[in-house]
Amino acid sequence: MVEKILKKDDIGKLYSELEKEYKFYAPTKVKGNIAFKHILNAEEIELDYLNSKVPPKDVLFPQKETIFEYRYEGKEVIIEERKDLDDKLLIFGVRPCDAYSFKLLEDFFASGDFQDDIFLKKRENATIIGIGCNSPRQSCFCTSVGGHPFQKESTDVFLSDLGDTYLVEAISEKGKELVKKLSWLADAKKADMEKSKELAKLAEDSFTTKFNFDLVTKVLDENFEHPVWQEISESCIGCSSCTFLCPTCTCFDVIDENDEYNNRGRRIRIWDTCQSCLYTLETSGHNPRPAKIQRCRNRIMHKFSYYPSNYDCLGCVGCGRCITACPVNNELRLIIDKILEIQEKSGEKVSA
Amino acid sequence: MPNPYIPMLTKIKSIISENEVRDIKTIELEFQKEEDYKAFDYIPGQFAEISIIGKGECPIGIASSPTEEGTIKFTIKKMGTVTSSFHNSDIGDTIGVRGPLGNGWPMEELKGQNIVVIGGGFAFSTLRSLVLYVLDDNHRKDYGDITVIYGNRDSGEVLYRDVLEEWEKRDDINVVLTIDREEEGWTRKVGFVAAIVKEVAPSPDNAVAIICGPPIMIRTAVDELVKIGWKDEKILNSLEMRMKCGIGKCGRCNIGEKFVCIDGPVFSLAELKKMPNEY
Repeated sequence: MVEKILKKDDIGKLYSELEKEYKFYAPTKVKGNIAFKHILNAEEIELDYLNSKVPPKDVLFPQKETIFEYRYEGKEVIIEERKDLDDKLLIFGVRPCDAYSFKLLEDFFASGDFQDDIFLKKRENATIIGIGCNSPRQSCFCTSVGGHPFQKESTDVFLSDLGDTYLVEAISEKGKELVKKLSWLADAKKADMEKSKELAKLAEDSFTTKFNFDLVTKVLDENFEHPVWQEISESCIGCSSCTFLCPTCTCFDVIDENDEYNNRGRRIRIWDTCQSCLYTLETSGHNPRPAKIQRCRNRIMHKFSYYPSNYDCLGCVGCGRCITACPVNNELRLIIDKILEIQEKSGEKVSA
Repeated sequence: MPNPYIPMLTKIKSIISENEVRDIKTIELEFQKEEDYKAFDYIPGQFAEISIIGKGECPIGIASSPTEEGTIKFTIKKMGTVTSSFHNSDIGDTIGVRGPLGNGWPMEELKGQNIVVIGGGFAFSTLRSLVLYVLDDNHRKDYGDITVIYGNRDSGEVLYRDVLEEWEKRDDINVVLTIDREEEGWTRKVGFVAAIVKEVAPSPDNAVAIICGPPIMIRTAVDELVKIGWKDEKILNSLEMRMKCGIGKCGRCNIGEKFVCIDGPVFSLAELKKMPNEY
């Protein structure tokens, strides 16, 4: 496979060629924020961005989606399954952290005896065009969770921003097929590849946030009842931004929405959050996690303890959205520091 | 692999009002398609997500035994929106069913052992299923002695009177019914379940205790069992948690790293002791 070069001026050409075959999703500006949306005009595509506010997870696992539709004919119910799950999707400009989240989501939805058919079909029909991060944000920490600003593994085609052009690398079989179709792309030169490597190194060296998560998991497993959770949860206002903007959060609620006049409706699922007290509230009034301390702990434990035990990997891709979104600055870096302090303090006690 | 969120369709065949205050009903469901009935291959202790389409879905333990062929039964207390809709349903109404779900009582492991069933209130549904299964002619020889201790607030709350009467007539099962306070005409035991467990003092030798009921009953009954030498591994509980999907995806029924819907709802006391106290 020969690497190719895509001129930024040719993005429109790329779009008009691919949009015939794929539902084309790309970053665009929505109310001042970057979001991944179905693009209907190449000019909507925004190329100068760090990352989207809401992760591209919502293309495959939207905030609200239909599970099935139904209609009543007297007492008979007719269930209508979704027919759009076989649409071919293309998600353009996905950052490596978010591309990796697709792998975590796929592994989660495919795990166990029951597979989430809705997500998995969409994932199977999606082609991911990833893009390296030349300038990771100060809140980014993908290198601490096994990622890299130029990690290509979870993408089908990978782009490196070389200024006026992109270096185009086909990563998967799907990606190779796609690049083959774009026969007008020029071949890349050795210097282009060298430049991409340089950018990757520069990006990697620019990270300021680094954690030893092996140690975090160990400390978490041993300190479920530790008073640090009181401290961690004190300032939390339960707004749930951290979970709603997380590319690996998968929790959802299920609701029937009726169109009463037409005797029909749909069963939908909508994102839910473990940070809400309603999430676990039972009809009897009993609530297994009634207090903030339990809910804050559940989020951290889920990502960094339960995920490693159940799926042998961290439930975090290091995108830093929960860090920038927290309105009270009770952000992950501080939380992780507090957790690691437990270990340091107990170490001090042992040595003293 | 079919979409696991799509319910199989059934119709209500019969409705039985179970208690005096009429807030507990057992509905009997008949599958609309024969192949769905065949696919619904369950063991006692499993549950299903049942729904009135257009109102919503909720997880309910299966009250029938697989030995009661042709239909499945669910006992539902009127509590919230969905359960109230079930109470307002009529014979012939369409009900969606997804299942069977969860691990259920370990019927294979129980073989050759004595079984002590301890239940309280309307949580007796999956215990009904288990006892009927064990008492079935094809299974009775596989299991040892059976003791059933079943407690209720008052005599009006006793569920499944027809099967309880049948069991009381048999000599291969010891049925101990109790209510919290004396009542005119009540000829069985009086007292909380824990006190009756203490009095009956079931032997832990080659035996498994199967417990389902309100949290306070479970705690006090378990305390009594532990006092007379029962091991944590031999005490089984069925847990309840708020659920939406029932298949380990919607997230909310986790207790630590376990999901009640797919890793449970049946856990031994030994397993529960390793889990955080968030249930």
